[in-house]
Amino acid sequence: MNYDSLKKVIDETARECGISEYEIYYMSAFDASVSALKKEINASSVGESGGLSLRVLKDGKMGYAATELLTEDEMKRLVFKAKENAENTEKPDTVGIFKGSSEYPRHDFKEKELLSNEKMAEVALELQNAAYAADSRVADGTQSSVSSFGFEVRLSNSWGLDLKNSAKASVIVTEVAVSDGNESNSAYSVEEYDAGMDLGKIAADTAKKATDNFGAGYVESGKYNVVISGKEMKSILAVFSPVFNAKYALMGMSLLKGKEGEMIASPVVTVSDTPAREEVCVKSYFDAEGVSARAKNVIKNGKLITLLHNRETAKAYNTETTGNASKSSYSSPVSISPYAFCIEGGENTLEDLYKMAGSGIYVTSVRGLHAGANPMTGDFSIESGGFMIENGVLGKPVKSFTIAGNFYDLLKSVKAVSDKVTFGVSGGVSCFGSADVLCEGISVGGK
Amino acid sequence: MLSKDLLEQALGVVLSGGADFAEVYCELTRNGNIQLIDGRIDSIADNTVSGVGIRAFVGVNTVYSSTSDTSREGVLRCAKRVREALKENRGVPRVVLNERIFPNIHPVKICPDTAEMKYKCDLVKAACSAAKGYDKRIVQVVGGLLTVDHTIQIANSEGLLTEDRHIRTRMNVDATAFDKGENQSGASRHGRGMGLELFDIYKPEDNGIEAARQAITNLSATYIKAGVMPVAIENGFGGVIFHEACGHSLEATSVGIGMSQMCGKLGQKIANEKVTAIDDGTIPSAWGSVNIDDEGNPTNKNVLIENGVLKSYMIDRLGSRRMGLPMTGNSRRENYTFEPTSRMTNTYIANGPDKNEDIIASIEYGLYAKSMGGGSVNPLTGEFNFAVNEGYIIRNGKISEPVRGASLIGTGSEILKDIDMVGNNMECGQGMCGSSSGSVPTDVGQPLIRVSKITVGGR
Repeated sequence: MNYDSLKKVIDETARECGISEYEIYYMSAFDASVSALKKEINASSVGESGGLSLRVLKDGKMGYAATELLTEDEMKRLVFKAKENAENTEKPDTVGIFKGSSEYPRHDFKEKELLSNEKMAEVALELQNAAYAADSRVADGTQSSVSSFGFEVRLSNSWGLDLKNSAKASVIVTEVAVSDGNESNSAYSVEEYDAGMDLGKIAADTAKKATDNFGAGYVESGKYNVVISGKEMKSILAVFSPVFNAKYALMGMSLLKGKEGEMIASPVVTVSDTPAREEVCVKSYFDAEGVSARAKNVIKNGKLITLLHNRETAKAYNTETTGNASKSSYSSPVSISPYAFCIEGGENTLEDLYKMAGSGIYVTSVRGLHAGANPMTGDFSIESGGFMIENGVLGKPVKSFTIAGNFYDLLKSVKAVSDKVTFGVSGGVSCFGSADVLCEGISVGGK
Repeated sequence: MLSKDLLEQALGVVLSGGADFAEVYCELTRNGNIQLIDGRIDSIADNTVSGVGIRAFVGVNTVYSSTSDTSREGVLRCAKRVREALKENRGVPRVVLNERIFPNIHPVKICPDTAEMKYKCDLVKAACSAAKGYDKRIVQVVGGLLTVDHTIQIANSEGLLTEDRHIRTRMNVDATAFDKGENQSGASRHGRGMGLELFDIYKPEDNGIEAARQAITNLSATYIKAGVMPVAIENGFGGVIFHEACGHSLEATSVGIGMSQMCGKLGQKIANEKVTAIDDGTIPSAWGSVNIDDEGNPTNKNVLIENGVLKSYMIDRLGSRRMGLPMTGNSRRENYTFEPTSRMTNTYIANGPDKNEDIIASIEYGLYAKSMGGGSVNPLTGEFNFAVNEGYIIRNGKISEPVRGASLIGTGSEILKDIDMVGNNMECGQGMCGSSSGSVPTDVGQPLIRVSKITVGGR
């Protein structure tokens, strides 16, 4: 059944059930990938999926149901299930289904093209060959892959709102294994593919990152000035991003409730949230309630400007929604999340940060953030790797240490940010970026 | 599920592309999720996952295609995509499927979908009320009840046709305590491969109280000082240490391509002789158990390490081809969109010779990790990390003040040798394990153990 036929069945069934307000959120996705191992293509895959989520307002409460079975009978079941779920929910819905914004932004970003299987294979092999050529210690187990994916979202509701968005992108992953006979190491890189990118350099840089770890030493436990690379800082920002979620604040699970207008970070810290940013592949024009999406600063020069809101939290705060309603998947209830969320850069180079640190540690890898960082408390203790900074320049590699602290304190401890921002690859509408940051007095656990 | 005729036709299409093995996996999963926030049912959601994944092998190379379109046309289009990627075009061979029925060793008494919604909501309310009532400093409780009804069908070019239905139930409670300007958290999760009879084993109230107790305990905890020290790790979810430090490195996903610290070590002593570790997907109604894996093989009890000696890896079909070793019933995937690969089921360190009280008494100064969080590992280097959710300092052989903010890091090969005392209260905890084939339910387990030295990350 096509979308309009599914919608018609839902509309008729909803009316029969006495439901006048409902919203359909439909997502279809396509992805393909090719991977290479031992300098030859060893796997390829292609997938297509589509699912429809329904939320209905019944007796002042919201009920949800979602399915990938796109049949007439299943659409009827979906309405009955959503109605039953609304009837058993206890929380009154305070905002209903959205009638629509007065206008929606459009941008002139050129949509990317999906890569053909042949092109993906060519790129995967080029990455493989470049990795092996980069260093004689590159070992079997080195993998490279290219994925190309696209999705389309459609949001329609009983008020006649009908919005569409889509995105396409390709991503390259290079994982390089190295061995010198005594020691094995690995490193990986994930980047959005661009036709003009230097694949050889990416593979060689990844191989170097792996070989740099040979002979890595251990660091003494203590307090250090720490430069966290933008690539790692964006991951730390991502795991703590719920502290900017107004729903978490209302629930007492973020300490930022009521802190708008206060200094919560160092004056060098500005955190922006941008729905459509040039360097990020997924660009949003409306949120998961159909509200027009807009750019804003969440922290400006250390001051908290706003939390991220959907319509429900905005009403509770007696403010306007920031257009950050989201769904973690098409089937999830409406929540809140950022778009391109970024610790913006300054004027210092990375080398300036080393100099300002004097002696300290440059952190180039963090692992286990899902376990070692707790957004509810702000505490983190994270396995890390990197390099010593000695007399303002990079020194020997170090491994197997932890950096520990509290995210709220970390924001205040930032002494400087670099001029280069690194973004990750979009996961849904959210994508995180950060400049390299110099933080003072971070606890390091080592030998 | 798909008709036998359609399955045979789809397999034939794939083989005509030159595959030496073809497989069709079909899935229908009904998930239910009730969430309670602020003392009332906040949302109730249903989600149906339905689709097909078709896979082909040519030697150790693979082609995979998936679709949520389970119509005849959708399935055959999916099969043709695989054939196109294989690039050959032979005649379509005839595949004859023979149905095989495996015994169900995980019986379900109360199928979640048949229970009244109010009954299920009341279970979550009971857990959260108990947590909120535990202490006035508990400011927020979030509770959830997840139910999964998962039916799969697997057919392959060797003639196998089989189906399985697996039901899982899990309750989670997260409590937030607030005092003197700071938050602390506590969590409790219990799940089983069973229906709502889960709550005959675990009272919802106990789940809530456990989460609240942990949050309140952490309010009075001080930050642990970083350093290297002996650590006693408690049973249950403490078993995540073996899961991360060693388990992932024993999966064919890593071993089969040379990306594991455990490559080529079968028969070698890799751990202290007190360590015997097992992966057992056959434990009745356990969280990580299934009757058959996602390639249609019955699960097994696999002894991975026996008295410190490496005895077995966990091997899926592709890993079996790469490594020249038999499959072990460990092939798993989150859903049809993922190609299956070798994964853990219920993995634990077996009871050892030491008394638990002797383990604590043996530590002059160290950490008692009562409750562990999650972790991760690099299988090649064995470098792992995991978080301690609830910990205490051990002084002069006695458990003393609570500490927070600790994480444990190290390398698998070292820690296996440093597990020098193994107690006798083996118990499992439930987790969701993420890897290349998605997120799958796994039990981790162990008795109380002592690690003679490990880096503790703190302040």
